[in-house]
Amino acid sequence: MLRLGILSLVAAMLACAEGFTFVIGSPVASQQFQFKAATFVFRTDGCGDVGTQQVSATAEGVLKGERQSVALKVIPGSKPGIYAVFQTWPTEGQWIVNLKGTCGNASAGAIVPMGPKGFIRESAKFFPHPATESEIENALKPLMTGGKK
Amino acid sequence: MFRRHIPHQLAGLLDGELPLAEKKRVEDHLAVCGLCREEREQVRMGMSMLKHLPPAQAPDAIWNAIESAWPEQQQRSVAWFRQWFGQWLPAYAVLAVAAVAGIAYWTMVHRHERLWEVVEIHGSPGGGQEPIRKVAGVGPGDWIETDASSSARITVGQIGSVDVGPNARLRVVTTSPLEHRLTLERGEIHAKISAPPRLFFVETASATAEDLGCEYSLKTDVQGLGLLQVTLGWVSFQWKGIESLVPAGASCRTRPHEGPGVPYFDDAPEELRNALENLATEKFAGSSLDTILRVARVRDTLTLWHLLSRAGVPDRARIYDRMAALTPVPADVSRDKVLELDAKTLTRWKEALAWTW
Amino acid sequence: MVPLSDREVSPEIIAHCRAGDRDAIRVLYDTYKDRVYSVALYFFHGDESVAADVTQQVFLKLITGIAQFKGDAAFSTWLYRLVVNACQDMARRRKSAEWSTERSRLEEFPVGGSQEDDYARTEDARSVRDAVSELPPKLRMAVLLRYFDDLSYEQMAEVLHCSMGTVASRLSRGHKKLADRLKSLMGAKG
Repeated sequence: MLRLGILSLVAAMLACAEGFTFVIGSPVASQQFQFKAATFVFRTDGCGDVGTQQVSATAEGVLKGERQSVALKVIPGSKPGIYAVFQTWPTEGQWIVNLKGTCGNASAGAIVPMGPKGFIRESAKFFPHPATESEIENALKPLMTGGKK
Repeated sequence: MFRRHIPHQLAGLLDGELPLAEKKRVEDHLAVCGLCREEREQVRMGMSMLKHLPPAQAPDAIWNAIESAWPEQQQRSVAWFRQWFGQWLPAYAVLAVAAVAGIAYWTMVHRHERLWEVVEIHGSPGGGQEPIRKVAGVGPGDWIETDASSSARITVGQIGSVDVGPNARLRVVTTSPLEHRLTLERGEIHAKISAPPRLFFVETASATAEDLGCEYSLKTDVQGLGLLQVTLGWVSFQWKGIESLVPAGASCRTRPHEGPGVPYFDDAPEELRNALENLATEKFAGSSLDTILRVARVRDTLTLWHLLSRAGVPDRARIYDRMAALTPVPADVSRDKVLELDAKTLTRWKEALAWTW
Repeated sequence: MVPLSDREVSPEIIAHCRAGDRDAIRVLYDTYKDRVYSVALYFFHGDESVAADVTQQVFLKLITGIAQFKGDAAFSTWLYRLVVNACQDMARRRKSAEWSTERSRLEEFPVGGSQEDDYARTEDARSVRDAVSELPPKLRMAVLLRYFDDLSYEQMAEVLHCSMGTVASRLSRGHKKLADRLKSLMGAKG
């Protein structure tokens, strides 16, 4: 009986955790005109209770050979679960935006590389956990060598 | 005996808004009319049901957005006015009142007239003369024309600017705080608008660009053959019920007597862009649709979504199937409803697809 | 009526707003924002995104146009004319939303109390919201303006560009339709 209860609890936790992820898009995806100048917008999928989720973003980059990190303000949209990121990091250097999110016991992460024309959608990476430092470094390397891996 | 019922006065009675005489007439009628008494109770119950409707709180994001779109120019000109008012009024009461009224009137009238201002012209219209740096303000009915060697920048009220290229001709239609509208007869403009949606419109012979918060270029000839390219935000391009949504990074042609075409991303494969051009003349009779479907990427669902409503049912089915192969179809979007061009279904799908555009 | 705010702005605040005083405009905004948002939200069937858009449009048009406000009508009359125009304009753009209830967009509102109370309140609110959504637009707007801002019939007549008799008629018909639609809810309440 106890075993069944534990299994049920684990199943419930997994159900809450399963599929919690970020989805990124151009500002048009938000349908909010005040986000027209946003660098990109994002939403979360798979969070059972959007009201309890927490999201944050930092810009991680290399500027004149020095590794830098800039905390970003994530602007919530009028529709729950949709957010915008505006560029407040330097225009010089190579940068990625590191997204972190939690929903109950579940976590999600995303690395969104930035290019001269905005975010590089096809190079974005998504994780079921906050991105590690090595994952961030690996994402920055192609930008520094001019590649678009 | 014919009795005139009073159903339309019942809310007024319950809200205490009826004039005394009418109130008495209504009450006298209610005393003898069971039908109207019953209706009165229904109206009363309807009013009481509204207490279940919770008042909503406006999200903080709204004020953030208002601040970011705040018209800066208004504050500078009004700050000057406040300073002048404070200087005169204490010293000369009667004269100050008249002066303030006069200046306020002048400010209002001339501010309205100067809602659009041609700030500068580069080069020299007519050739060989000194460049004109600033031209008087323009209002409804005024034409602005540049020649091969000149260009201009127009300040559109307090919401943005329009750069006018050479050999262009446009007319100011409306310059009110609630709507700014111009007609582009020929040439190219680049609009940069910082305002709520649906405040700035540009008409051409074949379509109207409705600003939804954006920056774009629009060029046209006198027949109405034109091209819209959006660099920021998104634009609704409309003509006689035909609408194309054009987001940043995309373009849309417009043709005389046909209105806006199908939008496409500027980085779409050249084959797709060429095929789309041919499709406009083939009217789905040739092989262009085959090419479009074959080379379309996930992002090109922008193009495919717009093609759905322009294609016949057999082609529409092919377009749907290709879209479904490119990206998952939301659970609340059914194939049948899409093929029927159900408006709500198409809107839901567009909103989901927009995350891939 | 719903006492969303028992404040009205003073003529001094409005004068400062006309002079471009940002702080005064913020006061104006804070005074009216929830009422404007509520009218827009329920007019558009609980669509928060559209309601936010309409609210932003209204206040930005107010900011750019307040110098044109002559003071010969109550300020709230002038403001709600902007609200009605913005809602009508948005409704024209969203033809499908105007005539249907977008149930998929209706969100639940957070409420306090026990779980059972919460559920009951949420269900009641949803039922009333659905019923309001089904009213024809002219009746819906009249009901919402009266309910959320307690405008007098005279003010509503100015806002809606109609006679006071028409206002009374729309409110009578609107409330009667709500009662018809919500019979089952009323039956449960006894």
